[in-house]
Amino acid sequence: MQRRSSCTSKAALLLALCTVVAWLAGAEAEPVKIAVLTDMSGPYAGITATNVEAAKMAIDDFGGKLLGEPIEYIHRDHQCKPDVANQKSKELYEKEKVDVIFDVPNSAAGLAVSNQAKLHKKLFFSIGSGTTRHSGPDCNRYTFDWAYNDYMLATAVGLWAADNLGKKWFTITADYAWGHDLLKHFSATKKKKGGKLLGNEMVALGASDFSPYILKAMQANPEALVLLNAGKDGINATKQAAEFGLKKKAKIVHALLFIDDCKAAGPEVFADDYVTGAWYWKSDNPGSKEFVEKWQKKFNRPPNWMNAATYSAVTQYLKAVERAGSKDAPAVIKALEGHKFSDLLANPGYIRPEDHMQVGKAYILRAKRPEEIKEPWDYFEIVGSIPPEEAYQDPKDTGCKMDDF
Amino acid sequence: MTENTSSRSRAILIGALLAMAVLFPHIAPYQALASEVLIFALFAVSYDLVLGYAGMLSFGHAAFFGLGAYGTGIFLVKMYPSVPLGLLTGLAVSTLAALFVGYASIRRRGIYFTMVTLAFAQMFYFIAFKWTGLTGGDDGLQGVPRPQLGPLDLGPEINLYYFVLVLVAVSVALIFRVVNSPFGKTLQALRENHNRAMSIGYDVDRFRLIAFIISGFFSGLAGGLYALLLHFVPLSALHWSTSGEVVVMSITGGMGTLVGPILGAVAIILLRDVISNYTESWNLVMGAIFMAAVLGFRGGIMGLLKWRR
Amino acid sequence: MTAQFVLMQLFNGLILGSLYVLLALGLSIIFGMLGIINFAHGAFFMLGAYVAYTITTYLVPNFWIALALVPVLMAVFGAACEMLFLRRLYTLSPLYIMLFTFGLMLALQDVVRIIFGSMGVPFPTPDSLSGAVNLGFMYYPKYRLFLIIVTVAISVGVWMFLSKTRLGALIRAGTDNPRMVDALGINISRIITLVVGLGTGLAGVAGVLAAPIQNVRPLMGMDFLIDCFVVVVIGGMGSIGGSILGGLIVGEVIALGVMVWPPMANTLIYFFMAVFLLIRPRGLFGREAFHD
Repeated sequence: MQRRSSCTSKAALLLALCTVVAWLAGAEAEPVKIAVLTDMSGPYAGITATNVEAAKMAIDDFGGKLLGEPIEYIHRDHQCKPDVANQKSKELYEKEKVDVIFDVPNSAAGLAVSNQAKLHKKLFFSIGSGTTRHSGPDCNRYTFDWAYNDYMLATAVGLWAADNLGKKWFTITADYAWGHDLLKHFSATKKKKGGKLLGNEMVALGASDFSPYILKAMQANPEALVLLNAGKDGINATKQAAEFGLKKKAKIVHALLFIDDCKAAGPEVFADDYVTGAWYWKSDNPGSKEFVEKWQKKFNRPPNWMNAATYSAVTQYLKAVERAGSKDAPAVIKALEGHKFSDLLANPGYIRPEDHMQVGKAYILRAKRPEEIKEPWDYFEIVGSIPPEEAYQDPKDTGCKMDDF
Repeated sequence: MTENTSSRSRAILIGALLAMAVLFPHIAPYQALASEVLIFALFAVSYDLVLGYAGMLSFGHAAFFGLGAYGTGIFLVKMYPSVPLGLLTGLAVSTLAALFVGYASIRRRGIYFTMVTLAFAQMFYFIAFKWTGLTGGDDGLQGVPRPQLGPLDLGPEINLYYFVLVLVAVSVALIFRVVNSPFGKTLQALRENHNRAMSIGYDVDRFRLIAFIISGFFSGLAGGLYALLLHFVPLSALHWSTSGEVVVMSITGGMGTLVGPILGAVAIILLRDVISNYTESWNLVMGAIFMAAVLGFRGGIMGLLKWRR
Repeated sequence: MTAQFVLMQLFNGLILGSLYVLLALGLSIIFGMLGIINFAHGAFFMLGAYVAYTITTYLVPNFWIALALVPVLMAVFGAACEMLFLRRLYTLSPLYIMLFTFGLMLALQDVVRIIFGSMGVPFPTPDSLSGAVNLGFMYYPKYRLFLIIVTVAISVGVWMFLSKTRLGALIRAGTDNPRMVDALGINISRIITLVVGLGTGLAGVAGVLAAPIQNVRPLMGMDFLIDCFVVVVIGGMGSIGGSILGGLIVGEVIALGVMVWPPMANTLIYFFMAVFLLIRPRGLFGREAFHD
């Protein structure tokens, strides 16, 4: 008994010593480790899986080294499942010891990871998920919301449509948190501009038949039909709107549309529709052309705006670590808060300290008709832009109370 | 094989499983995954009571898992931060739901029973989906706390794991007791020969209903623990795919063996996690594994073990 | 809400119902024969759409050829699946066969995702069927009218085949009681191959027909499959007439539900199913205690 306990204490001492040595060794030269957690096999995979490549490219272009150590990189597939995202974020923060997680599409998944970031006191850049809760009631010191949110998507195109397409609108809304959020902001924009909402239809998520809603919209005879949905719902609704002849009478405005959707559905489906974008690959922001060229060479197609946003977020994070001279979370956060920059995504861009929203110009895109498309993947034309002060909600009104570290 | 050696080999198996369970978080890819494996093992075992022992294919067990999670989560978020009270609330909700769904569907047989349970589960799903004020809807119920439990800080994943382990081990032991009790034997007799049992005078439906409620109770516990593990409740906990998942775990492991579903849960969750780190095509790999498993070693993992013996 | 709108909505319910009928027919006869829920059925539906896409994009840009070829190819595919895999499993509990079809579903969906991507592929309405026709009281898309006609034709065809031909009689007998047919000295395994092939072919047709009005993507069968369970159950498992009537009822319930309370249209069919089963456990034309 005696012998055994002394043995244990020796072992414990040795272990403690080892830990101290490891800690001393590690304190000096621990490399920055970044992770991308995204949907690589689920419904958003077609848009977000390549964010992994965007992050790698950002690291390469940065020089691959930071604070004298090579930057480490890892990615995980959250399969578009919030529970998997939550578990994987723990793996990344705890086992893989990453300093920061990027992306995490799907609002439920994004909110869960944001909470994990706060619990682990590590950084999280939300890119794919658009919920305004990130920079609103659920904001926290460790989470940054990059490139866009639902408020911006609905407001920018709403403001533009009121001035250019007419003031009689009809909305078809995906009946879940995201759609409701968009509708709220779109209605507010409509009020501001003195527009008239002729009607709204809530459509269950995953409904395959949009014809009844299209019929109701046609009876109301609006100048613009606003589709507050995305992905396959957006494609189904637009296909069926064309089928019933609605596109001959009214313009269609989308909440979210990617070049990948145009490729998937065929350009004739979305011809002459309008949508907000955070970026387009024909943009002339600093570094944009180089990024697109490199991407084209590697993947034989241009990047979508989620890719550009990921590239931008990773780059700005690395620069912030460089400015702070440390990868220590509070120091990096302070270097990011209130920072102004110009890069491929945002020219200029600004990280609001009040709610951690990264704001920039919002672009209004028009989908080209098939005969206008001269170059593969050139599905859009930039027809206007909305300044950040108008495109994003005033931080006083977002409901964010930024906490301490 | 005599009764004696079989019970001895079972004791060895249980001992080995427990030893594995204690070491598990240190060898699992990460600690939180170990807790997830245990939680789904409990869910699969309690499901096996219905599928394997009572012979009823329920396709609505996500309802009890999900309601357990929501009951626990909502109590912790909106009422009072206490883990035991939260779990009890979740248990109460899921058991009541099992009573209700069971009572309504138990007289249906075969595929019709399956479909009634599916229908009820879908209704719970849509209610949770719509009632955003209470459940958070599609965004999930965010920010479920893990309050201190007496001297135990449940915050670190390793502490939560051992807390989950104790509850899961006790639950599994209780389910073993139920299965080996006269009640359990009767249940199996009913599964084997429904008509004869009826003619002897057994109230078949009552036995089935009790098994269904016990199963709902433990599924609810698994759900409550899941809410604690995740710090939130995903709406998908109530989705039919969660029901499908537990069916697949039970069958893959070998239904009607209790140990089988545990192995099924362990294998499926670990494999999916590891494979998805290496390839985006993990669905293809999982699909191929299921097909190969059925073609190759009929009777699930337990069938394989028996066959090799 | 105008009478015209209600009428149009009834038509739309018919369209949705038509697709359900085609899928449910296959699901139902396979269930009758093997006593299993075929989880791969939604994937067969999806595969039908993708095969049609491949034919029209890479081989011959003609919708009609695709419409004629896909059912044949899919039937061969289904029959091959039966002969290669399912046949080995009939001695096992039906649950294992279900697990197999579940695995098959995951694998098929993922293979299609790997080849064609997760976003889906374009599938335009054939030129000869685009645009609308004036029905007197309203304009209605040509393609949708065509869809109704094709479904009616196929349903009648399947009905005639099953009720008027000797082979059909054997299949009906087989779905009623596979053991009895076997006992009569008829090669039941060939009939099973035929039934699985027929069911898969029907799913394939449904896929082609749905492609122009749906986003063709790897998971397109998932939502449909679970709705089809409802159809088959309401119609009565294993009943052909039941599938047809069940499909039309569910299509109309959704279409009418949309007018009354759109967000709950999806929930409504489950509520409808639960109530229906509690009042009439066998569905419309099903038999009591099927494969208990």
